[in-house]
Amino acid sequence: MAFLEWRKFTFFDLKKDVDEGKIAELFKDNRVSTTSSGNSHLILSDTLGQIYIISRSWHVTTFRAYEMSVDLTFQLRNAPLLITIGQDEPGINPLIKVWDTSRKDKNGSPYCHRITRALPGNRPLQASALCVHDNQQLMAVGFIEGSLILYRGDITRDRSSKQKILKTSGSVVTGLAFKSNSSNMFLYVATETSVIVYNITQKDKEQKYQLDNIGCAKQCSVLADSVQESHFMIGRQDAIYCYTTDGRGPCYAVEGEKVMLEWFRTYLIIISKTTRPALLATMSSELQNNSSEGHLITVLDIHNKFIVFSAALPKTKAILSEWGAFYILDDENRLHHLDEKDLQSKLSLLFKKNFYDVAIRIAKSQGYDSDGLVTIFKQYGDHLCDKGDYAGAIEQYIKTIGKLEPSYVIRKFLDSQHIEKLTMYLQALHKQGHATEDHTTLLLNCYTKLNNSVGQTNSLKEFINSKDGVLNYDVDIAIKVCRNESPEEALMLAKKHEKHDWYIKLQIEDHQKYTDVIDYISNLNYEEAEYYMKKYGMVLVENVPKESTTLLKKLCTNYKPNNAPLNSENLISGSFEVPCRADAEDFVHLFLNNSELLVEFLEHLLNEGCILSTAVYNLLFEHYIHVWSNLKNVADKNRMSQKALKLLQNSDVKYDKSQALVVCHLHSFKEGILYLYEEQKLYQQILRYHISKDDSTAVLACCRRFGHQDPTLWVHALWSCVRNTTNPSMDLLNEILTVIAKEKLFSPQLVIDALGSGNANITLGHIRSYITNEIQQEQKVTKEVSQLTTNYRRDTEKLKELLEELKNGVIEIRGSRCAACHHPLELPKIHFLCKHSFHQHCFQSFSDDEIKCLTCEPQNKDLLELLRAREYNRDLHETFHSQLEKAHDGFSVAAEYFGRGVFNKYKVITDEAMEKNLGVPIVSTSKPPVRKAASETRSYGMGAEARLRQTEVKSKPGPVPISEGRIRLQEQRISSSLEANMSRYSKSVDKKSVPTPSNPFEDAYDESNNPFCDDDDDLDETNPFREDLMRDRNLNHFS
Amino acid sequence: MSYAYLFKYIIIGDTGVGKSCLLLQFTDKRFQPVHDLTIGVEFGARMITIDSKQIKLQIWDTAGQEAFRSITRSYYRGAAGALLVYDITRRETFNHLTTWLDDARQHSNSNMVIMLIGNKSDLESRREVKKEEGEAFAREHGLVFMETSAKTAANVEEAFINTAKEIYEKIQEGVFDINNEANGIKIGPQHSPTNPSLPGAGGSSGSQGSGCC
Repeated sequence: MAFLEWRKFTFFDLKKDVDEGKIAELFKDNRVSTTSSGNSHLILSDTLGQIYIISRSWHVTTFRAYEMSVDLTFQLRNAPLLITIGQDEPGINPLIKVWDTSRKDKNGSPYCHRITRALPGNRPLQASALCVHDNQQLMAVGFIEGSLILYRGDITRDRSSKQKILKTSGSVVTGLAFKSNSSNMFLYVATETSVIVYNITQKDKEQKYQLDNIGCAKQCSVLADSVQESHFMIGRQDAIYCYTTDGRGPCYAVEGEKVMLEWFRTYLIIISKTTRPALLATMSSELQNNSSEGHLITVLDIHNKFIVFSAALPKTKAILSEWGAFYILDDENRLHHLDEKDLQSKLSLLFKKNFYDVAIRIAKSQGYDSDGLVTIFKQYGDHLCDKGDYAGAIEQYIKTIGKLEPSYVIRKFLDSQHIEKLTMYLQALHKQGHATEDHTTLLLNCYTKLNNSVGQTNSLKEFINSKDGVLNYDVDIAIKVCRNESPEEALMLAKKHEKHDWYIKLQIEDHQKYTDVIDYISNLNYEEAEYYMKKYGMVLVENVPKESTTLLKKLCTNYKPNNAPLNSENLISGSFEVPCRADAEDFVHLFLNNSELLVEFLEHLLNEGCILSTAVYNLLFEHYIHVWSNLKNVADKNRMSQKALKLLQNSDVKYDKSQALVVCHLHSFKEGILYLYEEQKLYQQILRYHISKDDSTAVLACCRRFGHQDPTLWVHALWSCVRNTTNPSMDLLNEILTVIAKEKLFSPQLVIDALGSGNANITLGHIRSYITNEIQQEQKVTKEVSQLTTNYRRDTEKLKELLEELKNGVIEIRGSRCAACHHPLELPKIHFLCKHSFHQHCFQSFSDDEIKCLTCEPQNKDLLELLRAREYNRDLHETFHSQLEKAHDGFSVAAEYFGRGVFNKYKVITDEAMEKNLGVPIVSTSKPPVRKAASETRSYGMGAEARLRQTEVKSKPGPVPISEGRIRLQEQRISSSLEANMSRYSKSVDKKSVPTPSNPFEDAYDESNNPFCDDDDDLDETNPFREDLMRDRNLNHFS
Repeated sequence: MSYAYLFKYIIIGDTGVGKSCLLLQFTDKRFQPVHDLTIGVEFGARMITIDSKQIKLQIWDTAGQEAFRSITRSYYRGAAGALLVYDITRRETFNHLTTWLDDARQHSNSNMVIMLIGNKSDLESRREVKKEEGEAFAREHGLVFMETSAKTAANVEEAFINTAKEIYEKIQEGVFDINNEANGIKIGPQHSPTNPSLPGAGGSSGSQGSGCC
């Protein structure tokens, strides 16, 4: 039998005499008749008609409600309304009184709202039960013969209230309870022989349902209104029976004759008579002497199904639940308090007994916080682990996810035999999104292990697939793990989660499915495709060159993902889509070993009109040549060379010419080399190339073609002709020589030297015509020159004679006409040595200078100016040099300069010439300036020039640069002298803009000390600081 | 919750055959490996749909202990269906079936639908009672038979729902007097065909003729 009851715990402490005997004092000579509680007061009433209202602080308010006795009281839970039934006069005449305990009348007792007689069918009957609905609209009174009156309407008012008599089975009504749900209103009635429920939703349409045909004693029924589906409970000998509005509900077997039932929160309090003597014996001695007949109090936790308190008590009078606790009033009018233990101590009690599941239930039902619950789960898990119930333990651990460190659990289950449990835990971890990478790895490893050992092949797949919506594991990790164990899954995973990198990597490295990769990439969008092509292009090109090239072509021209719909929408909407183009340069390196493909690739790009970088063009060209050199077929070769040339000739193609040249040379691509040379005007190179190839016709053609641009070509041709070949073609030589002779490119002597110096086998016969030609020309020239010389000599002689004549001979002036007016001369007249004569008035009117002949003057002036210009030119060395450079024949230029007398002092000659040529006017013979000049340069002959130079240097005035150091030195000297002379110093100071020169060097640098600067400052009107400077000057107190 | 009919069930059988677990599985869809002894009668309810009608099942899960027999007996009356449960791994629970059946027949109304349940079918390795034996017993006594597992939930739903279907059919056939609440059948509040104008007239909705549709 001992097992036939619920588990027992002690969750309550019994405290005695909580009221310190105050209640016992009140009831010294009378008995408690009825009790009630609510609205934070305990209501006690005695058999003499007195009502005691007890507050929490044990303050008692007493008032007389009835003259005779109080039979029933009912305090509304949340309102200060107290309803009582009692007797005011002898006989059976129950009176209902409704009191407002918050209002006091003049006597200080509560205000009485209403007094009503409770007489069903006008028969005087003892009331046995009273119940008032919390809404203050319904009140039921039960009577001993089984009938009851239902009052509707405001209970505080007599008038508005309507009463209705309901018949029950005929035995004493022992309990009443109102129960209302959302739509219906019920009244439970317990009699001694039956349990009935009335549906009282509709007025005057009360429906009666008999729930049971056994009843209960007074005070042994209670409405448990805080459980899920509220039950009306009645206590009987064998058990507590519960009823719902639909009928019987559960039944809790609790032995013992029930005295009282009470409901407190979720606890059912049962007071029963002890039937077990053993239990009586265990009662404390103190209680035992008080009453032989003790009561047993049992508190049931209906929800969790166990007994939370059980103790023997002296005979109990009432159970009062108020102030969040409940109190027991025993027969001796002592108040006992059952104090509920706090949750923590309850739990520790349960832990001690390893009732973790119970603890969890309690903790949950009492709203324990999640952290606390986790601790319980963990302890429970640990406990189950210790017991070896790993499955159960893992279930508990799973509940700790999110709070408890997963490693704690994982460590416990790392043993291979628990792998299934571990998997479960990890799965849960993932489901709740608390998994880290390591957990994913572990889980996947678990899966694979399970696959191997247990044969659960699907679990991995399921895991991977099940997470469609919630991606709560790290895909990268998953792929990594799967890669080793089940490659298909890894691949699938990568594809599904668009881990392109992984997908491609797996395909390439593990599966070698390159074509698939290409397909895959071509389905990606541009950025990704580009990225992955860059990354994996090398491998792809190596393995599937064709396909990769096609893809690359697309990528570099106008890429669109394969699976992307045609952008018709864009076209319609008119939005312009910028074509995605990859930079070809990024990809060309992929083709390093595959020239054909590279060529194909780049050609495609060119055709598409892509602008490529120089490097790419270079590469293309290089590979053209490379391909070209590798080709065997002549036709192909030609075609390729054509292509290469076309590329070179394409003006859009920005290739690097020198590099191209190198390439051409490397592969001896003749056309390219020649083209490039020509392009860069390296005609000599072309020539050299031809010569090296020993191609005389080409050499000749080249010379002919480019000779007019670079005549030296011919010379080079000659040189090479004679030097490099032993048996040069005569045609070539002849032509070269002809051109050289014609263009005078080379002196004949050098030509012959050249011809002789080479090891070519050239005989005189080869060059005879040339030499004769040359000599003839030479002779012709010599002749011309000597003739010219003779002419000059003759002229000179003539001049000398004239000079002599002028000096020593008599000059006859016979002019009869004035040179100015052509009239016959008349006195006064002026004669010049040049045989011109003038009237004096004519001369004076024309001339401003008395000593010059008017007729000769312009001519002389020209001459003088020419001479002066020559003198001026003497200093223009650059002109000379440039002339020399430009000149066809440098020697002639130099000779001309000598001829002009570069190294002669012209002045001297000029003076003499003037003396000779101009003559001296007769009328006024003074010529001091001429003389002075002559005296200045007395000496001729040896050392004359040196002397001249000397004077030049001496007389040179300014522009000799003075070294900076010297200037500094000078400045310093000036500044130090300034310091010495204060008056001057102050003068200099007031010119400064910064008047605190503590640094002597600063002084030195100061512009005020610069003699040039003063002027500038003062003169420069545009200087914006000038005014400031002036103002400073004005302000300066030194001035 | 509105319902067309309310059926009351009782689960009976020896202690430890898994009556409470069956109920828990049916009402809460969970399994509790360690279950305390049922003290008295426990109670559960669930809505099911039969023939597109909402039917509320109220199930009394009785204690199997002999000591509570007197309490549980009072619940036979007012039940429309009974699940008589034995444990396939314990032959004595099968042997006691006759006693239970007699008890049930004696205290319930004669029309009560009784379903024989062989529980713990997941423990095949420890089976002591063959399925054929159960079938034979059911045939012999005019019961419906089913093997279930409260742990794996196999056949649990079916057991309850099939019983409900049988009751429903019996109602359709007019075997049950649906106006007598002692039969364990109640018509839902809003489904009462007539307006219950007479309060206290037997407490039932005085529907004459076919109360069902």
